[in-house]
Amino acid sequence: MAKVTEKLEGMDVWVYHGKIHIPNTYSAGAVGSRFLIELRDNKRIMGTRCPACSLVYVPARSVCRDCFGMLSEWIEVGRKGTLLTYAVAYQGNPVQPLEPPVAYGIVQLDGADTGFVHMLGEVAPEQLKVGMKVKAVFKIKKERQASILDIKYFKPVG
Amino acid sequence: MAKGSPTKKPKKSEQPEYIRIKFDLPRPYHWSTGRYLGKLYAEAKENKKLMANRCPKCKEIKVHAPTPVCPKCKVDMGWDWVELPQTGTVFQYTYQVYPLWDPHVGGRWANPHPPAIILLDNGVYLRHLLEETDTKKLREGMRVQAVWEEDYEKRGQGFQDILYFRTIEE
Amino acid sequence: MAGRVAIVGVGQTHHTTRRDDVNLPEMVGEAVRAALADAQLSIKDIEAFIFSNMEAFEGILLPEHGMITEVGATGKPGLKVTGGGTTGSEAVGEGCHMISAGLYDITMVISWQKHDCGDATAGISAAAVPTFAKGMVTGAVSEFAKQALSYMKESGAREEHAAMVRLKADRGACRNPYSHLKLGLKSIDEVLQSPYLVWPIRLYDFCPQSCGACVLVLASEKKAKKIHKKPVWVADFEVVHQEPFRAGSFGDPTGTETYSQHVACERLYKRNGITNVRKQVDLAEIYEPSTWEEMSLYEHFYFCEKNEGWKLIEKGVTNIEGDFPVNCSGGVIASNPIGATPVLRIAEAALQIRGDAGEHQATRDIKTAIATALGGPNWTAMFLLKRS
Repeated sequence: MAKVTEKLEGMDVWVYHGKIHIPNTYSAGAVGSRFLIELRDNKRIMGTRCPACSLVYVPARSVCRDCFGMLSEWIEVGRKGTLLTYAVAYQGNPVQPLEPPVAYGIVQLDGADTGFVHMLGEVAPEQLKVGMKVKAVFKIKKERQASILDIKYFKPVG
Repeated sequence: MAKGSPTKKPKKSEQPEYIRIKFDLPRPYHWSTGRYLGKLYAEAKENKKLMANRCPKCKEIKVHAPTPVCPKCKVDMGWDWVELPQTGTVFQYTYQVYPLWDPHVGGRWANPHPPAIILLDNGVYLRHLLEETDTKKLREGMRVQAVWEEDYEKRGQGFQDILYFRTIEE
Repeated sequence: MAGRVAIVGVGQTHHTTRRDDVNLPEMVGEAVRAALADAQLSIKDIEAFIFSNMEAFEGILLPEHGMITEVGATGKPGLKVTGGGTTGSEAVGEGCHMISAGLYDITMVISWQKHDCGDATAGISAAAVPTFAKGMVTGAVSEFAKQALSYMKESGAREEHAAMVRLKADRGACRNPYSHLKLGLKSIDEVLQSPYLVWPIRLYDFCPQSCGACVLVLASEKKAKKIHKKPVWVADFEVVHQEPFRAGSFGDPTGTETYSQHVACERLYKRNGITNVRKQVDLAEIYEPSTWEEMSLYEHFYFCEKNEGWKLIEKGVTNIEGDFPVNCSGGVIASNPIGATPVLRIAEAALQIRGDAGEHQATRDIKTAIATALGGPNWTAMFLLKRS
């Protein structure tokens, strides 16, 4: 049986190795669900547009940051975009599913006014450059589950 | 999604697909007992004794759990330790019927051992479990005695080195 | 308090078990828009935001950060309050402090809990310090079970009285469009048939886990009357966090320790010259996690003598039509989005003072009300609200 508590050397202090395990389930909501379902069923990346400010938000959300209005128009944005910035993680973490090194960055798709975080693939860390053009690579149909990870990663184009 | 009437409930007639994302991983943590609770752990493991510390000012014995500062007087507790008796009477008990989620276990369970407040023979209250799982045999005022984990290797869990309190036949 | 503060806007969502149609920020946004509509203000008028919620339950750290856009707080100052069961009251207190200190004229208090994201019992059990309390705490239910046992023993209250409390709450909840549990119970027997969770607490004795949000708009005296025809004045409030009881959590079976409710009452009632609560105050919205606790709280808040709480229930004194209505909205045992619950108590008391509570409006004219909050293990917050 794994030791749950252990005494620290040289002092009467014990450490308890435990866990907090609370089951969590997050609702994507109507708007979030539609965005994810479009990824799964149609390999389409959708954004929502503010009629007053003309800003296009990707991933789709429901409220405009600037005017507090409701984002009512749905627009398809392309699968290509610009890498605004990136980072490469060399240290793993027990809660993370991927093995290091993991490269990820903020991508602003053509047609969107916002960027979002995703993984970068098919590229060596040294070749990454701020401002480079990238393109979404989707998983195959049976692996897509209406998750942001239905996009496998973004890879460089050109 | 309703526009303009923010407090209307969604209609049940259309059933769109809503995505829910599950996150069910335990988050690992490491907690230190500190010196005071550490003394309780050490005495429980080595000597099967239950210790508590006493405030120099109000003389109150602090059972759950030994701390450096007295909660009533706000003074430094110092290092005055008292060995607690291991017998007492059941002051109050309750028992779980419905399995509820325990975050330290990571699942739903109904602990068969009833949690109780035990008035130890020196007049302090201890919160612990009772061995008796047949709820019909439980009674306030019954005499109980601590039952320790006998395996030395398995001890080292502080209050949980006492498994539960057993009813003593009078 | 230095400058007077009034509640000029109240908004809440329909409290329910699950909200799949909105994510967390959107749900809170609904209550924000409702409060703005009630105050007839635009989001631009709000100068500062105070957020209130209990984090372990949604499992998201700093959930307020993800909802700034949806609540319209972009670029504005604010802070977060998280304080167990009394969180909401403390947040409203902060909102009042900011105004009476002269920092802002209009603040918004945003409180919520989306319980379908997690498990409240698990969250509360996670408050048990693992190095000495693991396995001893089964959420709030087991602690209130112990309180119920003490109450039964000391006061002579019976399970029938707890059932009467549920029936009173259910009548109110069925008339309140926003409440969560609308059970439609007709008799004591129906309540007594519900199963035990932790003996002697039955399913119907305890509060639900609700998804909901409640938002208040607070304003300074200077602006309040211009914003709303019927501002509700925050006459005073008190927050008391006492050290835990030695035995029991929400009750002191030994009879030797100090209840935070008594300390709060001593201070608040004294400051406001209240010597006979039932004569000088018209209504109360109290935070009762269980039916038994409601009867006990009547005594702690001096609505009646010790061990007589169950008599008030038996005689119907605290019904909607009664002499001293308590929890006309259905109370916490009908709707409990924990981070929002104390704010709901203040919101419901404010609606009663305004006469805007619709079908669950108390029969008596309500000019002064008390709204309370309860937290674990020995915390109390009390608000005194007045019409003028």
